[in-house]
Amino acid sequence: MSRPVLISLLTVLGLAGFVLSLLIGPARIGPVDSIEALVAGGNEAAMIIMREIRLPRALLGVLIGFSLGVAGAALQGLLRNPLAEPGIIGISASASLGAVLLFYTGLAGASFLALPAGALIGAAICVLVLLAISAMQASTITLILAGIALGSLAGALTSLVLNLSPNPYASYEIIFWLLGSLKDRTMDHVWLVIPLMIAGWAALWASSRTLDALSLGEEGASGLGANIPRARVLVVCGVALCVGAATAVSGAIGFVGLIVPHLVRPLTNRLPGQLLLPAGLAGAALLTLADIVARTVIPERELNVGVVTALIGAPFFLWLVIRSRKELF
Amino acid sequence: MKHFGKRVWTGVVAAAGLLAGTAGALSGPSVASLNVCTDQLVMLLAAPGQLKSISNLSRDPTLSPLYEQAKQHPINKGVAEEILLVKPDLVVTGTFSLHNTTSLLRRLNFRVEEFKYSQSVETIAADIRRMGRLLERTGTAEAMASRFEHQLAGLEPLACSRKPVAIAYGVRGVAMGKGTLAHSAIEAAGFTNMAAELGYEGVTAFPLELLVQDPPDLIILPKPTPGAPALADEILAHPVLARLKATVTGGFSSPAALSCGGPFTMDAIQELRALAPLLTPCRKAPGS
Repeated sequence: MSRPVLISLLTVLGLAGFVLSLLIGPARIGPVDSIEALVAGGNEAAMIIMREIRLPRALLGVLIGFSLGVAGAALQGLLRNPLAEPGIIGISASASLGAVLLFYTGLAGASFLALPAGALIGAAICVLVLLAISAMQASTITLILAGIALGSLAGALTSLVLNLSPNPYASYEIIFWLLGSLKDRTMDHVWLVIPLMIAGWAALWASSRTLDALSLGEEGASGLGANIPRARVLVVCGVALCVGAATAVSGAIGFVGLIVPHLVRPLTNRLPGQLLLPAGLAGAALLTLADIVARTVIPERELNVGVVTALIGAPFFLWLVIRSRKELF
Repeated sequence: MKHFGKRVWTGVVAAAGLLAGTAGALSGPSVASLNVCTDQLVMLLAAPGQLKSISNLSRDPTLSPLYEQAKQHPINKGVAEEILLVKPDLVVTGTFSLHNTTSLLRRLNFRVEEFKYSQSVETIAADIRRMGRLLERTGTAEAMASRFEHQLAGLEPLACSRKPVAIAYGVRGVAMGKGTLAHSAIEAAGFTNMAAELGYEGVTAFPLELLVQDPPDLIILPKPTPGAPALADEILAHPVLARLKATVTGGFSSPAALSCGGPFTMDAIQELRALAPLLTPCRKAPGS
């Protein structure tokens, strides 16, 4: 499939997910009334529902899905590892831990900014540790196992911190930090993540040529004059910004960055740098659709969207592991 | 001489206190409580010396209405060993909590009495009387129970053009539906509970959208726990709540107001009734 066709197709899918997400909710408002209330105002209750409840949710689905998709594609390219994904190798869990440590212990007061700051730091530390491990000529599986260990540790510590909080509700929030949700977010959350995510996307985009070159291996890429250390720094910063910002407002949502690069890769020329944009768009479509499923599959009882992505993603991961014994990429 | 006299007096008072204590212990069985709601009844009804220990949750201001009073009593962490050490004649607990501890204590021949977890304003007087019988303090319990029943029966309908609609909301979007103590207190205060009206039962997730679509007259919100942030408190600052112009938001002065049933439940009901004059259907038209 030619690149322009693929990108327009995925953009349409992402937009469809966004619009559908806007139209779905417990308050029964017809599609025409919904859009009218969103754009023009009119009925006050409908306007508040559309602008303050559904719009932030749909926007965050697109933004977070895009970020997780791009981050997954960039990690798979840099580490030349088809199983690399922010959720699986512990980056999302570390971001959760960072956010939880800074917020619940009251270290940063009850500041709104404690969550993203903690999440960015947590995600960045985890990516750096993983890069150090991969620099030791570790095999594909060693790196994944190390990431899974980091993720389990971060998850356990997150639960511990929340259990030790004197706030009686903190322990109920363990599930949010481990299996994220987009429920009842506000436009403030949207404004908070937009600058961080744009910076993250820019950093990853700036690394795309080097990622393409890296598909020839490190020596081949160096031979082509690629600046690999610079690309590493860009990917670390980009992934930390994307995953950190996403986790700060939605908790850890796994597997999006694993599924979409694999779904989209056969439709591209298989160069990792060229995969970034399609993977992001597919991520936006996947997460908005998963969030719709989370809201509608059991009436009156909303699931965490992280549960839905895990239900799709974990079997997919298993299949990849089994297949990767035979062939990589 | 003056000093000596004072000391003698202190001694006499102490001895009298000790005697009273022993007398109290003799007058009824000693008791340990393992559940925050039975803690409240034990604190209210036990004679001095009868109370061996209450649960550690009894000192938590977010769960225990009588948390101040609880500081005067020894506490347990709900572990069977602690009960073995203090050897009470009676152990009281809730049916919902600590199943393993309860059955272990029964095997060790302790008398364990369980109180139902689900409470309503109608069960409060019966629970007080039952605790009174168990502690052999029927006189005190009867007075307390009949006073509560009298107050409950004396609640008049609110002076409003229609029954005001209220919802107890908060803590990551959860509402108190049918079958909760909060529901029965809201109804007893003369309100309609919006969550129950829409068919929600127990403590369940309640979509924010429904709150906007058909706004209630009163939203009862919890207060944030000071010094211990949690995302739960974010819902209190959700911009949507500020946009509901015809709706009043209010709360109880104590975060534990409706966590357990007792005489203090009437204070919560009165606090709700005090908010009524601010609500749209109850506001007096100017000049009338």
